[in-house]
Parts: sequence; structure tokens; C-alpha cells
Amino acid sequence: MKTLIMNSLFRNLFEFEKPESRGEYIFFKIFELFIVYFAVKHAWEWGLYVERISDIVLPLGIANYLDVSFMFGTSLPLVNAFLITITLTIGFFGLFTRFAYLIALLLLHLQYATRFTLGEIPHSANLMGMTLLCFALAHIYFQDPTFRRRFAMGSVYFFCGLGYTLAGLSKLVGTGIHWFDGRHLWLWMSEKSIDIMSRAGSFEYNWLQELAFQNHSIASLILLSGLLVELSGFTMWWKKFRPIIITLIIGTHLGITMTMNIVFAAFVYQLILMAYPWPSLIDYIIEKFDSAKAKNEVEAV
Amino acid sequence: MDKKTIKILSTTMLVYALLVSTHQGEFWPFSIYPMFSQGANPWTRAAISDVTQVDDSLKWNPSEIDRFNGSLLAMNDIGVDQIDFSNYISKTIEWNIDRLEGLRTMIGEEILEQKELMIMKVNGLIHDDDHITVEAVPFILLTRDNTYLNPNLPESAYYENPDHEQPL
Repeated sequence: MKTLIMNSLFRNLFEFEKPESRGEYIFFKIFELFIVYFAVKHAWEWGLYVERISDIVLPLGIANYLDVSFMFGTSLPLVNAFLITITLTIGFFGLFTRFAYLIALLLLHLQYATRFTLGEIPHSANLMGMTLLCFALAHIYFQDPTFRRRFAMGSVYFFCGLGYTLAGLSKLVGTGIHWFDGRHLWLWMSEKSIDIMSRAGSFEYNWLQELAFQNHSIASLILLSGLLVELSGFTMWWKKFRPIIITLIIGTHLGITMTMNIVFAAFVYQLILMAYPWPSLIDYIIEKFDSAKAKNEVEAV
Repeated sequence: MDKKTIKILSTTMLVYALLVSTHQGEFWPFSIYPMFSQGANPWTRAAISDVTQVDDSLKWNPSEIDRFNGSLLAMNDIGVDQIDFSNYISKTIEWNIDRLEGLRTMIGEEILEQKELMIMKVNGLIHDDDHITVEAVPFILLTRDNTYLNPNLPESAYYENPDHEQPL
């Protein structure tokens, strides 16, 4: 039974035995470019913000062992952003070294630990970071480019599904089965309303927030559906469930945006790329294009 | 190929588990994603009020969130990340000189040249009758030349350590 599940899991996640189509190759490079773009964007945004920081409230990651204040008040965060950009470019084009993505990830970790020292623990860049880790592992351990891409994509689905399920389990451990009590949502909505008000200068609840405040059952239903979707995150390890579960996760993110005003834009864009069979669509378009081209050539002859 | 993949994933999972278990669930990019895992907990956020025109006798009065003295200063207008700011205010337990100077740096001395700003702690909680209250408590006053703590609050609101440094 255990072997059967493992075999099914590996077949669905990695498909090492399946030949790679042109659509899969093109899609992977688009996906890789997407991750590189957002990693570079974060590196520079975080680097530029460090200028405003002069103290450490809550050290994260490497900052627990390394006093990252040496980065404050210097141009080092920008130098680091530049190095991250260079190493990611080397990784994307597969030049010089197999360790480029790993070096980029470590530098990005330092950039994150320098930027987020004031108490905030954001998760908006975690999926991008985990994806970069999967790329790094693929580059280090696999010589064959096809196997490398297969491993990278499979492990991204693996860690993404694991992350959502862990998020659901954290809620059950942190609060218990009654986590989905609608009153908790009321409290969080009022908390986030202060953030928005303080950020923008004004705030008004939208229709969904009003509805949740008026009806405890609806508030509870919103939380329950989110919890169930998160707990089911691991089902994306199986190919046939992917479009359904990832669409539901995207829906949950939209729900979080509407109720708690938390926007995970890059996260959602990446989920859109991961949810649907884009490689098959690209293959279909290529096939259509090829057959039209062949038809034209025959007609010309 | 499968054995190699299992080995890589198992090792990564082990590193993942070790790092998150020894760092309170967070070691970017690894996380157990604990956000919003604890329901019903009271919360504290922060906001800034421009009190340049407010009478001194009213500046330190706590109030409901929609009735505080002065006008709300939008963080977007001064380029400060609201989440950073709120966490800085709510998670600092020892308001030493460095921390107070850090607050001034975050807001920017050029802003304080023109305005007197009241940093408010905003506390929310849910009562047994399901009623939610949100109260704004004046916490730190920043002026062009000085930084003041709320004289109506106990010292324990600013210092955990009784042998703390003298405030500015």
C-alpha cells in the first residue's frame, strides 16, 4: 500500500520517465523567469527599504546569529541586491556554476533578515523563496536538463502543498477545532482595518466584511472553508486534483484579501501558473501553428 | 532516479524541520505558516496622529479609535511600511534610547521638523457579549526637538527592566 502511494506520488510529481514536450520546456522557462523576476524585485525593494532601519526589534533567520546591523546606514543592501541579480541571471542562463541559484537564495535570505528586523514576519515571498530553493537543488543534483526541470517543478508542487497543509495544521494546534468560530474573524477584520486606516488615512468595510460582521454563521463559514482548503493543500501533489485545489486556494486568497485586506499578489500569480495545464495549451498552439505552416507549404508546392 | 529524489527531499525536509523547530516556526523561506493561528487573542496595532494643533491638556487622553485628538497621518504619505511600524510599536518591550531614536529615524526627522506626532497604541479585544472595542492610547509624542513618553502610563508600559536607561 505504502509503495503504491509512493509510486503514485512520484509519478504525479516528477514524471521522470515521460519525454518532455516543447510546451513543457517553454512553460518551465516562463515559470523560471517569473521567479527570477520576483526574486530580483524583492531583493531591490528590501534593499532600498533598509535605509529607514536603524535598530533590530525581532531578529529573523540568520540575524539570530549574525548582527545584521552592519548593513544599516551603508550601501551594502544595494550591493547585495546587485549580487543577487547577477547570480540569478547566471542561474537562469545556466552559466559558469551549478551553485548560482543556491548562492542567490543565501544572499536573498540575508537581504530578508536585514529588511525584516522590525517585528514583521511576512510570508508573501515564501513561495518564491521555496521555489528558488527547488531550482537550486535541481541545478546542484541533476546534470540532465530535462530531469532538472522535472525535479524542480515536482518539488515546487510538493513544498507548496505541504506549506498550505502546515498552515491549516498550525491553526488547529494554535486554537483547536473551534478556530473557525466567526468571532475570530471579527477580531481579525477589526485589526486589519486599523492597519489600512493607518496606512491610507481612511477605511470603510466592504460588503463581505459587513455581511460577516452581521452574521456569525457566515463569518464562521468563511473561516471553515479557508481551513478545509488549507488542510487539503497536499492534494496538489496529485496531478488530477491540481486545477481544483489550486483554484480553491486562489479563491481563499481572494477571500483573505476581501475580508482582511491582505494582498499576496506574487503568490497568487504563481498559483495561477501552477494551477492549470499551460504546457498542454502551449503544445496545442504549437501543433496548430505547425499544421497550418505545413498546409501552407503543401499549397505553395 | 526515485531514490535520489527521495534522498534530496528527505534531507531538505529534515533541514526544514530542524530550522523551523528551533526558530519559532520561521526561517525564511521555511515556515510552518502560523499566521492567524490563534483566535480570540486581543491585538495591538499602532497609528500616528498629527497633534500639532491640539491643546497640550488633551494630547494624552485615550479615546475610542474614531474619536482621538488630532488628525490621522497616513503612513503612505511618509513612505513608512505600516506593518513594520505597528510591529515596532507593539513588539518593543524596552523603550531605550536606541529604540526611540529608531522610531524617529523610521518616521524621518524632516517630517518632525514640521509636525508634532503622537504615536498611538491601538488595542482591540472582544468581550463576552461579542462586542469589540478598539481603543487608541497615546504612547509617545515626537516633536522637532524632543521625544516624550505618556506621563499617565506606568513605567512598566515602556520598560520591562527596572534598571532601564533614562528616556530622552
